[in-house]
Amino acid sequence: MSDALLEIKGLRVEFDVPAGRLPAVAGIDLTLGRGEILALVGESGSGKSALSMSLVGLNRGPRAHISGEVLFGGRDLVAAGEKELRDVRGKDIAVVFQDALAALNPTQKVGDQVAEMIRTHRKTTKKAAWARAEELLGEVGIANPRQAARAYPHQLSGGMRQRVMIAIGLANDPSVLIADEPTTALDVTIQAQVLRLLKKLQTEHGTTIVLITHDLGVVAEVADRVAVMYAGRIVEQGTRDEVLFSPQHPYTMALLNSVPRVDGPALDRLPAIAGSPLTGVTRPSGCAFAPRCSFAEDACDSAVPQLLQRYGQSGHLDACLLDEAARRREVAL
Amino acid sequence: MTTMTITVPPRLRTPWLIVKRLLAVPLVMLALATLVFIAMRLLPGSPATSLAAGGSSGNMTAAEITANAAKINEALGLDKPLYEQYFTFLGDLLTMDLGHSFYGNNSITKLLGDSLPATIELTVASMLIAVLIGMVTGVLAALRRGTWIDTATRAIGTVSFSLPWFALGVLSIVVFGVWLRWLPVIGRLPNALDYQPFTNFVLLDAILQDRPELILPWLEHLLLPATTLALSMAGFITRIVRASVLEVLGDDFVRTARMKGLSNGTILRRHVLRNSALPIVTVLGLQFGSLLGGSVITETVFSYPGVGNMLVNGILQRDYPIVQGAALSIALLFTLVNVVVDLLYLALDPRLRKA
Repeated sequence: MSDALLEIKGLRVEFDVPAGRLPAVAGIDLTLGRGEILALVGESGSGKSALSMSLVGLNRGPRAHISGEVLFGGRDLVAAGEKELRDVRGKDIAVVFQDALAALNPTQKVGDQVAEMIRTHRKTTKKAAWARAEELLGEVGIANPRQAARAYPHQLSGGMRQRVMIAIGLANDPSVLIADEPTTALDVTIQAQVLRLLKKLQTEHGTTIVLITHDLGVVAEVADRVAVMYAGRIVEQGTRDEVLFSPQHPYTMALLNSVPRVDGPALDRLPAIAGSPLTGVTRPSGCAFAPRCSFAEDACDSAVPQLLQRYGQSGHLDACLLDEAARRREVAL
Repeated sequence: MTTMTITVPPRLRTPWLIVKRLLAVPLVMLALATLVFIAMRLLPGSPATSLAAGGSSGNMTAAEITANAAKINEALGLDKPLYEQYFTFLGDLLTMDLGHSFYGNNSITKLLGDSLPATIELTVASMLIAVLIGMVTGVLAALRRGTWIDTATRAIGTVSFSLPWFALGVLSIVVFGVWLRWLPVIGRLPNALDYQPFTNFVLLDAILQDRPELILPWLEHLLLPATTLALSMAGFITRIVRASVLEVLGDDFVRTARMKGLSNGTILRRHVLRNSALPIVTVLGLQFGSLLGGSVITETVFSYPGVGNMLVNGILQRDYPIVQGAALSIALLFTLVNVVVDLLYLALDPRLRKA
């Protein structure tokens, strides 16, 4: 792993909801290496968005309780004031949101929206910022950037809007780009193009990318490292190949199992993970996945398993108490 | 990389949309004229009987009144069949001839030339006051959602838009005119002031005729009736603005703006206000109608020489041409304001610009 660019230590994110306090992120340690693409994988509600939004304080608010540390460039972004954070946002750390149609201002030309990002952090003329915006739109693969800059979001196709979103993210050449499900709303060919674009950014600009996704196909395509999240915690972490080809945690195994395969046997039904993810405010005292786990034993309910290197290679961590034999048991699906 | 083409709508479409909207105005006016005509004929009582009876010292017999009324009906053309009256009415309308009042035989067009500018001044002034109050309090309540500021603003807003105009008008006359004696409560300008109307818009005339001394008394006279009208509307606008701003604040593009590192003030000005303007503008257009309705009452309370006052007098005297003229001009004003609202939509939201 390359040297650390950003370090997350004991991060907890909780939200006040009518039923109590919802632990969206329940204590996470994670290091982001310079120039890598880290995929955060998990079901909806697993805390991957809450985790990444709290890196730049975008989920701060009267109902949010964020604690722990996010160390970046010598400062702690959790403790940083709003003014200090504004300086980091968009300049050092940028976010590419999913659903670009909603994430772009419908009443502003996209050129203005890219130029605004530039002018927020750099003293340039409007004209120069606009010219740079057109350039950026070209760089992210829009064929006729001058015309596109003058268009409103609704006049562009879904793929192009996502490119505009990426152009905004890139505008100040940030060291970290958080891409929150950047391909969910796109069809497969456009998805592949956008992923290739992200990969290109990483190789050409050395941008570190946090890719939030629930799509293991996307992970296989571009990720260097993978962190699998369940109920606000990381349950497995390792290189892409380690996690995809020798998964250690039963949840990762189950996830991989539920992906349809083109070369596999035709199935009437895709295997699904029984039960549903935890969304309530109360969490079990033991492993959060135990109630849905096919291998679970009594011991699983006693304590929350730590994320440690257990049976994998060095750096391949998992949070499962079961011994190797118990995890590998054949279970009738 | 595959080439992609963007279809930016041709520039022609937006002007065409505007023309289409403007073309609808005459049609709306025809429908309105017809409605007004019918409504007048459905009113109980007839102008001839009130004229015939009112003309004498009061000791006429029923037969004499009937005979007299018949003569008057003939003179005013009210004996003709309805469809004939209708077409004469429409024909005259086309030439901007709204007829003459039954009492005093004044040209309605001329009467409206005096009173319409007064009403436009009153309604526009109260609209401005209402928008100013409503926007400031609405945005404040939205930004301070859930705090005592929010609660207080909403409570005051609800009270203010629940108050009837006449009550508010009379109250303000008593307090500011009678007790405190701060402001004049009757009319549009002091009689002592030698005002020679040209456009009949006082501000415009003050500029054209180089008479700045007109402006202060004019504003003093305008303040109470305009504020009376504005208050109830302001309470309503506050609620709409609050709801609209809150909705936009939750939109994804506001999060994008925060991600860019913009300050809250910039986000509000550049991203939130414009996007929350659409429902607000819609409400303003519709509320202008109730403002015109309210001006009828307010003008009467403040003896303000506007169309509303003219309308009330016309109805009391069964003076058809006056009522028709006043009602039509109020309707025209409302229609035009809503045309402006539609055009504002196009300016505010590019998504509506495709035909």
